[in-house]
Parts: sequence; C-alpha cells; structure tokens
Amino acid sequence: MAMSEIPSTDQEFSEKISIQNVSKAYESTQALDTVSFSVSEGEFCCVVGPSGCGKTTLLRAIAGLDDPDSGSVLVGGDPVTDPGLDRGMVFQEYALFPWRTVRGNIRFGLNRPACECADCVARVRELIDLVGLEGFEDAYPKELSGGMKQRVGIARALAVDPEILLMDEPFGSVDARTRDRLHAELLDIWAQTGQTVVFVTHDIDEAVTLADRVVVMDADPGTVQSTIPIDVERPRERTAHDFVDSVAGIRAELGSPVDTRH
Amino acid sequence: MSHQTDTNTNTMVTARFEGDLQRYLRGLGGLLVFLLVWWAGAMTTQPSYLVPGPVDSVHAFFDLFATSTAIVVPIFGSELVLPTGPAHLAETLFHYVPGLLLGASCGISLGLAMGWNGALDDWLRPLVRVLRPIPPLAWVVFSIVWFGIHHTGAAFIVFVGAFWINFYGAYGGVEGVSSELTDAASTLGVERDLSMLKLVALPSAAPQVLTGFRTSIGRCWMIVVGAELFGAPGVGYEIINASNNLAMATSVAYMFLISLAFLCMDVGFRLVERSVLSWR
Repeated sequence: MAMSEIPSTDQEFSEKISIQNVSKAYESTQALDTVSFSVSEGEFCCVVGPSGCGKTTLLRAIAGLDDPDSGSVLVGGDPVTDPGLDRGMVFQEYALFPWRTVRGNIRFGLNRPACECADCVARVRELIDLVGLEGFEDAYPKELSGGMKQRVGIARALAVDPEILLMDEPFGSVDARTRDRLHAELLDIWAQTGQTVVFVTHDIDEAVTLADRVVVMDADPGTVQSTIPIDVERPRERTAHDFVDSVAGIRAELGSPVDTRH
Repeated sequence: MSHQTDTNTNTMVTARFEGDLQRYLRGLGGLLVFLLVWWAGAMTTQPSYLVPGPVDSVHAFFDLFATSTAIVVPIFGSELVLPTGPAHLAETLFHYVPGLLLGASCGISLGLAMGWNGALDDWLRPLVRVLRPIPPLAWVVFSIVWFGIHHTGAAFIVFVGAFWINFYGAYGGVEGVSSELTDAASTLGVERDLSMLKLVALPSAAPQVLTGFRTSIGRCWMIVVGAELFGAPGVGYEIINASNNLAMATSVAYMFLISLAFLCMDVGFRLVERSVLSWR
C-alpha cells in the first residue's frame, strides 16, 4: 500500500495511462477496490497478482471493454469510454477469427476505417515478417500451434499501430521454451515500436524478464500492493543476482500464500 | 529411417482401405438382406398389392421414364413435356424450391435479428414459443382457404417448415458468438452494431446457419409430400393417385424418386458446406 501512487490532477506529459480510484465489483467479489497507479509513455509495465485480484478487469477497463463502477481511467489525459484503435489488446486465448487466415486476421483492423489497399498489403507483409510467420499467410488458426496463434494475435493488435498494447496473460497457454522465445521477440518489437505496454501475468519470472516496473496486486478485494521498478540490465538472465533478488522481492510482496509454498 | 516411415504409411493406407472395403461390404450385405426380406414378404402376401415386390417396383420405376406427361409451368403458364416421373418431380419442385428458399431467407433473417437484438428478442420470444410448436402441415387448412390447394398453397406449407428450422439455426448461431471475438473486434475498431453482425456474428454463426438449411432440405421433402397428399400436383399426389388405382408398385417407384431427389440435393449441399466452411 505504501508505494501506491496518488494521481495528480494536472498530468505530467509523460504519463500515458492513469488509473484513478477505480473500483469494480462482480456479484459477491470486489474485483477492484479503489485502485490507482499510472504508466508512463513507452513504459513496459507488468501487473502480477494471484487469480481473482482483478488484473484482467483492470486491463479491460483500460481497453474500454468494461466500465468501472467508480473512479476513472485516463489515456493521454482523456477519460476512456469505449474501445479504440489507440489501445490494442492481446488475449489470453488468442481470440483469433477462425474463419480468417493468418493474413485475414492481421488485416482485420486495417479494413476500417477504409485505408489505401496497397499500403495495407505491404503493412500485413511487414507484420508477418515481424512476428516470423512467413509461409503461413494462408493458414487458418486451427492449423497453428499456440505460440503461432499468439504471434498472429500480437501482429493483429500491432497492425493499426496502437499507442498502447494491452496483453492479458498472452503466453499462459504456450510451452516454456516457446514462451522464452516469444519474450525475446516481444522485447524486440517493443524496442522497435516504443509502445506503452501493460502486460498482465501471474508468473513472477515472466514479469521480471519483461518489465520496467511491476505492479503487484492483492486479491479479494483487488488492490495495488506495491509497484516495484526492475533495474536489471537487458537482456536479462534468470540466474543473475539482481534478477533473483527482484523475483524474491515481488514474492515477498505477494505475501504468505506464495512464501509458505516451500 | 525413411524407409521405415514409408512402410508404416503404406500399412496405414492399406488398413484404411481395408476398413473402407469392410464398411462397403457390410452396407451391401444389409441392402441385400433387406431386398431378400422384402422379396420374401411380397411373395408370401396376398392379395399381391399389399406388398409390391422389388422387381415390380423397379419395373414401375423405369416405366416412369417410358411415358411422357405434359405439365404447366406456374407463372409462365407454358406447357412442358417431360417423361412422366421427372414431370411430376418438376411439379413438386415448382412449390418446393420457392417455399424452401423463401422460408429459409425469412427464417435466417429473423433468427439473426432476434439473436442479435435483445429488445427484439424480448418482444418476439413469447410469440415464437406459441407459433413454433405448430406442425407445418396444420397450416394446410389456411393454405387451402387463402391460396387454394395448388402450387402457392403447397409452397406456403413448405415455407412454414423451412422457416422455423432455419430460424433456430441462425438464432442459436448468433447467440453462440463468443464475447471474446466481439471484444477483439471492438478493440480493432468495429463500432457499429451492423458491422459487428457482418464481420463477426455472421461468419461465426455460418456453420449453424448452414446446418439448419441442410436439415430443412430434408424436412421440407416430408412436408411437401404431406401437402401434396391434400391434392397439390407433384410426386406426393402421384403416390396417392397410384394407390387409388391399387398400382402400389408405382407408389413405391415415386417413393424411390423422392429418395433420389433428396440424396442429390443433400450430397450437393454437403459439398457446398464443406467448401464454405473449410476453415473449421
């Protein structure tokens, strides 16, 4: 609690996302209870916490898919009311359109508002290169592995060049080796595009591998426990001392359920 | 290593071929047993018209192509001369096809609209609950007083039958659209309800819509024959007409003809379905 930030009314210009006293309840559970924090422009921010801590709800509120019961979410200083092309989302279970090919999925967001077609084709090709799916342009999602599906999901979200990338446990369903590779690729893409990323996960290692800063949440009610900057030089090695220390620090913040596991 | 794999593949192909062969042989066996029982039943039943035998029925079937009949094409009013069997089949199709297509389009449209629009669903759901259980053939009385028992009347009954099956296919299909896909689409800039329907709901519901239509192809054959038993011209009417003359083998011949027509349509539509839904 000590480190949760109190939002100021006059925005710093580098503050891209500002979450102010957001609360949201579902029937009997308080998914979010007066949650406040902000994310700077170009920052890679991971949100970790036990299941039920409302981290997905938070992401959906930023995306404009769910309205909070109270409080507000500001993006670039403007309150979020609806989903918009400035915020791309990558879903845990991919949410690819099964009737569209890889190319068709990536192109989806480019079809509207109407765009120059020659540019679209080039843009799709560029994205397919970026996520390493050359040769699979005409494959349907059912023909792809989990890792490849999520590559399509990422490319589809990137296609409209959003300022913010929202990722909801995107690598939760892929095997460990593929996940390591996807982490490296995601960091490459982020370095190239300079987007602001909010990445939700329950995997502390994953958060420390990726993030500039980790927001640690607690469940029932969902609150921000603390925000921890990760000052480990990239590329990060899981065995490095400062990496291990960061993981231990977050684990301590998450509290007893994780500590008593051993 | 690769030689080993080849041998394995070959063994698998052979095994599958043997499995197919076995299935065909069993199917053929079932048919033969049925023909034998039918033939024995026909031989031992008196008077003979009660059970016309397989040989008589096949003869009667070929007779349907030996003579010609003139039929009137509705709307155009022109006369058309065809072999007797196909001629009566064409008469059936004159009300079957328009009834099916119109019923399917209306049913799919209403199903999509109700599945997509909550308010419309609230308005119409009780009405649907009441009207849905009425068997299409019960509408015969109204089709007679409204349209007379001819092509239009029979088409109306087929329409009712096709309407509900397609309605439920589309309704269930749209209701089952995953919210994850609509969420994904809205983060990608789909704002208007109509765009969401066109870009997400419709393609996502397509498998159920097409299954509904395929089911209605079969169900409408049952309904159309029922409607013709009341006097509309076509193969159903010919079944009754032949039996009135105790020409039961001819009735069986028309039954074959219906079965054949249905099989062709079903196989044809399955091919369309498979190519449209290749993404599944």
